[in-house]
Amino acid sequence: METVLRYGVIAAFFISAVVLTFLVLKTLSFGRRSLNAAPRGNWKKGVFYAFGQGMMPWEKESAKNHLLTYMAGFCYHFGIFAALFYLLSLVIPFACGKMVINILQVLMVAGAVCGLGLLLKRSLKQFMRSLSCPDDFIANLLVDLFIILSFLNSSLINLKPILFSVSILMLLYIPTGKIRHCFFFFYSRILFGHFFGRRGVFPRSQHQFKG
Amino acid sequence: MTKNSKNEQSFDDRLDNLSEENCLIIKNEFKKLINYDFAAFLNTCVHCGLCADTCHYYIVDKNPKNIPANKLGLINKVFNRYFGLFAKITPALYGSKVLNKDMVKEWVDSLFGRCTLCGRCALNCTMGINIPYIIRAARGALAAARLVPPGLQSTVDTAIEKGNNMGIAREDWLETIEWLEEELQDDVDDPESSLPLDKNGARLLYTINPREAMFFPLSISAAGKIFYAAGESWTFSSANFDVTNYGLYSGDDNAAGLMSERLVKSRRELGCEELILAECGHGFNSNRWEAPEWLEKKYGFPVKSILQVIAEYIKEGKIQLDASRNKKRVTLHDPCNLVRLGGIVEEQRYILKHAVTDFVEMTPNREKNYCCGGGGGQLAMTRYADRRLETGRLKAEQIKDTGAKIVVTPCHNCIDQLMELNKHYKLEIEIKTVAEIVADALII
Repeated sequence: METVLRYGVIAAFFISAVVLTFLVLKTLSFGRRSLNAAPRGNWKKGVFYAFGQGMMPWEKESAKNHLLTYMAGFCYHFGIFAALFYLLSLVIPFACGKMVINILQVLMVAGAVCGLGLLLKRSLKQFMRSLSCPDDFIANLLVDLFIILSFLNSSLINLKPILFSVSILMLLYIPTGKIRHCFFFFYSRILFGHFFGRRGVFPRSQHQFKG
Repeated sequence: MTKNSKNEQSFDDRLDNLSEENCLIIKNEFKKLINYDFAAFLNTCVHCGLCADTCHYYIVDKNPKNIPANKLGLINKVFNRYFGLFAKITPALYGSKVLNKDMVKEWVDSLFGRCTLCGRCALNCTMGINIPYIIRAARGALAAARLVPPGLQSTVDTAIEKGNNMGIAREDWLETIEWLEEELQDDVDDPESSLPLDKNGARLLYTINPREAMFFPLSISAAGKIFYAAGESWTFSSANFDVTNYGLYSGDDNAAGLMSERLVKSRRELGCEELILAECGHGFNSNRWEAPEWLEKKYGFPVKSILQVIAEYIKEGKIQLDASRNKKRVTLHDPCNLVRLGGIVEEQRYILKHAVTDFVEMTPNREKNYCCGGGGGQLAMTRYADRRLETGRLKAEQIKDTGAKIVVTPCHNCIDQLMELNKHYKLEIEIKTVAEIVADALII
């Protein structure tokens, strides 16, 4: 049973990748926007900024004023990556040293706490509920469950069949709902950096007539 | 019933009686306006809500409809319903919606009435989603079904029909220039000084916001005085002088392209080297950044803001300023289209440091500055006037906090809004353009 589920995880990963690729191709089918206006700044510097300094809380009022939520988001994602790495170690499989497992466990616990915290915020705050659809709750719950099961399996009891089953569900769900931002995030940040970099808004080192 | 209220009533009637055919037009146009970038953005929003209190609408009024992600969400729901992969099968799971009469009404109210396209949410989005550009695309889809709120649509129509958004007749324009030229000659005590019209081969073609000719002639005089002091070779066009482009706000790319093309044509016919845009935020964004995309061509000549020109004059020593002539405390309002979306950030500060003795920044400032509330076509859409004044409270508080007696802003749209805020919030300030402040300090 465990072996079947293990192959199920691999199959779900490939199905997810294929559907995500199809989604990208469908997105591409809308056509590119041509850019004819002469640039004032350097778009590459803008993209570099978007993934570096531009992610820092002091650069973004939205992050600075909601530091706890912003940091919880970061923590949550570290937890997800840790759980994914742990899943990989079970599926391939390969052995992780004790220290690596300990680090992954810390990240997973922190990630799960933050994920549940964000879910709580979405459920309790009226303005967050106004933004949410069922997908927002399902995606969060599914990922939280995945992280928690990964942690439990790594530290306490053998939950591999349940972990693999939840992993299959989660992997298949990725392209269908909001979790697909895991791919589109990178493209959006590139576009953000490209737009403001080309126009000479960011990074500020591009500003002319600086005092 | 006034003509204005009749138009508003007729617009509401049209919204109430929208046919499925109208909705189909909007849907099809929306599909045409969505490109790869926008589709990628629409796949990215995670509804984190961090954009909420970066929007001046939401800061002032905690109505969830004012949250940028909810405005984007209205578009995303429709996008997912028709062009998404899975939302067609299980719409309830993703909150996707059909574009019907009710949804169109929501689009009009939120996308026109609750957004100034200022871009502050885009700057603060953790994902980097360019929300105002997607909202503009959806506005464009509404424009295809003639569902742009009357005041904004009539501004576009007037510009298309009459050549400028105020409908100024050619003879009136020529008369205004003639009168202002006499004023300039008196002011600089030089009968040879001029406000040239249709001067072939001039280096610069200068454009204005038609409101300057109608209500703020001093800002035209100020620019003329600066050009005179710098010994510049420049000209106005008698045919095409309007820097504004409300097609940017209505979302109608065809109308917007037509308006911008006129300036390109006049520059070519007059043989000018550069197109210089007056102090107008959206005019700058339109003609500098968007017009080459609307017209699908590279310009091959520089398009600059007058601020860039003035800053260069100061730097190169072509004009001399005596800052002590402007002793009152001055603050600066950054127009969104010029600064956050246009990249002209430091020129105005460089100029003011040379032109006034007491300059103080607002908090926040530069690309992080708050919109005054008058952008996005809000000043033209009378149906949302109350919201506009209410959202302007944030700007009024920013101004009060500086203790400034003069607010300088390089945008006539912003000036109009600031004048209303001045009255509404009893700010007791003077509002000036950068050129006016420079003209006051000019040593001739």
